Parts: sequence; C-alpha cells; structure tokens
Amino acid sequence: MRRNRLPRSLIVIAAAATSCCGSSPITSARIEQSIEPTFANLVRVQVSWLKMPPMDASEFQVTASCRRQLSGSDAGAGDWVCTLRWQSPDFQTLRDTFDLFVTTDGCYTATAAGESLGGPRLRLSDGTEVRNLLYAFEGCFDTT
Amino acid sequence: MSVRGCVAVVGVEYSKLAAQLKARVALAACVVGPFAFAAAMKAQSSVPEDTLFGRSVKESGFAVPLVVLGFAALWVFPVLASLVGGDVFSAEDRYGTWKTVLTRSRSRSEVFAGKVVTALGFSLLLVSVLALSSVAAGVLLIGSQPLISLSGVLLAPPHALTRVVLAWTTVVLPTCGLTAVAVLLSIATRSSVAGVGLPLIASLLMQLYAFVDGPEVIRQALITSAFGAWHGLLAEPPYYGPLVRGSMVSGVYLAICVLIAYRSLRQRDFAG
Repeated sequence: MRRNRLPRSLIVIAAAATSCCGSSPITSARIEQSIEPTFANLVRVQVSWLKMPPMDASEFQVTASCRRQLSGSDAGAGDWVCTLRWQSPDFQTLRDTFDLFVTTDGCYTATAAGESLGGPRLRLSDGTEVRNLLYAFEGCFDTT
Repeated sequence: MSVRGCVAVVGVEYSKLAAQLKARVALAACVVGPFAFAAAMKAQSSVPEDTLFGRSVKESGFAVPLVVLGFAALWVFPVLASLVGGDVFSAEDRYGTWKTVLTRSRSRSEVFAGKVVTALGFSLLLVSVLALSSVAAGVLLIGSQPLISLSGVLLAPPHALTRVVLAWTTVVLPTCGLTAVAVLLSIATRSSVAGVGLPLIASLLMQLYAFVDGPEVIRQALITSAFGAWHGLLAEPPYYGPLVRGSMVSGVYLAICVLIAYRSLRQRDFAG
C-alpha cells in the first residue's frame, strides 16, 4: 500500500501540471493591454522632452495588434511583432511596427522595425541630444 | 532552548565571521561593486541594453540600483545567500569541532538556531549593503533625475526612490529561502564545497528553466522566479501577483529547508 503512494502522487502532480498549465500566460491580449498604455505614456514623455505643448496619454489613441513570430502557437515567450495604430501630436494616424522579445516572466523589449519613428537618438532644436524613447523601450505585465 | 542561549551562539558565530577573510571580501564587494558599475556607466558611451532599465542608466541615478538588482538576481544573490549559509554548519565538520561545540553549555537546538540566525542575518546584511550602496552610487554619480517606469510613466525622484527601496525589499524573502537551502545542504552533505556550490548550481539551473518556455506552474515554483517579482512594483498601476506568489514560494522553501535541516541535525550521531 505504502509503496504505491509515491508513483500515484507523481502522476497526480504531472497531470495537474499538464492540464492546468498547458497554455502559456504570455498571450497577445496581455501584451496588447500592456504595450498600448506604455507606448502612449512614452509618447507623452517624449512630447514634453521635445518642448511641444503637453498632451494627455489618452489623446494618442494607441491600439495594438500583436502576433507571435513562431507559427503554430498563439501564446508563449519569444519573438512577437506588434503593429501600433496611434494618433501623432499633429493628429495624423500612424502605423508603426515593433519587434518584441518577451521573456517568460512577462517583460518585453520593443524595438521599432522601421525608421519611421527616427533613430535611437533625437536632436533637439537647441542642439542637445536625447534618447528616442519610442525607438526602443521595455515593459512588463502580470503573468499570474 | 532559551533565547539567551541562541543569542550567545549568534555572538560567537559573528565574532568568527568577523575574523574571516571571505566575509570581509563579500562586504567590501557589496560596497564597491555598485560604485564601480555606476562609474563605468558614466565613463563609457554604451549602456547595458539587454537589462531592464539599462537604457535609462545614464539618464537617472535611480535606474542604477534597478539594473544592479536585475543583474544580482542572476548569480550575486545565490552567492551571497550560500556564502555563510553553506558553510556555517559544515565548517564544524571540516575542523572536526562538533564534539567540542556540543559538549559546551548550549543545547543542540540552541546551536542550530544560533547558526541559522547568523546565516540569515549575514545574507540580509550583504543584501542591505548592496542595496544602500547601489542607491548611493546612482544618486551620487549619475544624479537624482526622474525615472521612466516600466509603463512609460515619469516617476518624480521621491516616488522613484520609494519604488526602488520597495523593489529591493522584495528580494529579502527569496534570499532567506536560498540561505535556508544552503544551510540544509551544508548539514546534509557535511561539506562546505557542496553547501556553497550546490545552491549556486541549483539557482543557475532554475534560471535556465526560465529561458525555456516550459509549464508556467513549474517556473513559479522555482525560488529564483521570486527575484524578478519586483517588476510589478515599477509598473503603472503596480501589480502584485508575482510578488505574492514569489513570497509564498520563498516562505515554503525557508520553512521546509529549516525544518528538514533541524531534524537532520537532531538525529545525527556525533559520538561515532
């Protein structure tokens, strides 16, 4: 009787691990919900750095659409691509694509895929240089 | 077992530690390391882009302690946790001093409690020193500019400092948990090499698992995942799910390891 106990408990644990947690918590919905406000907040900071009139983050109306690079599964850590639609400070609708690397703990680094948002650094009108916050940025979201 | 007895053991253990070169070297490294890092960041043009807050490290001094925190989770915390925890019991085996220790007026439980308190206390001392030093290095060498959070929000200096301190506080419990693992291995193997080395190897393996996209429930049950729970405190609004889970996991490691270690030491036959 006692000899049977260990294998049986192992089977229960293995079954629980595969049934409840077969799908990764890194989903497009979680990434989109995180990158939308993060990008909007960063645009807001960048606008203030560029000495433009202050705007609220919600005015940029960011909507994200993310998909996983690896075909065959729609969830999991690794390479993702997000397309962000947003309204620029001069009220033009823009589309920008970002390459994301998402780690298993729910943190990501987003890098602009094209040059539409400028290079890694921006030169201000007074000659000083600042980091282009929209060129590459990072964020984290809850995976629990 | 009396509190006075434990305090006496802790006193003896700390005077032994104070005389050890490794304890002094570890303390000095925790003080100097962050300053060297911040000075290097100030001097060179590139930044550690692959670490969270690495990009901001030249813009805000508050990014420095967070980069150090992210980096320390990889192997510094495991080293600090096992440095004394993995040696505090097995050193008696190495020097053959168990019989001397146990024939003094302190009971076996008091010796156990005193040594565990010493190991936990020393780990926490090193983590606190590293935290203070990296905040000081950031603020003194880079400055106290506002910090951009993990949600792109600009945090004012007092707010940023609070978040940094809270983030460092979250690693206290996982460090205690790892120290307890080292204590258990130190008792079980009677070898300081195993006591210090095995927790280090175990935590490196656990972190390797985090790179593999395996079942999430296993990742969350690993104590090293708790070292990253602070990310939620730097988001807007903050989220606490990983922190709650990580603290529970660390508490379980701590309790189970201390319990098994205690039973193992109680049942050990020193007479032979």
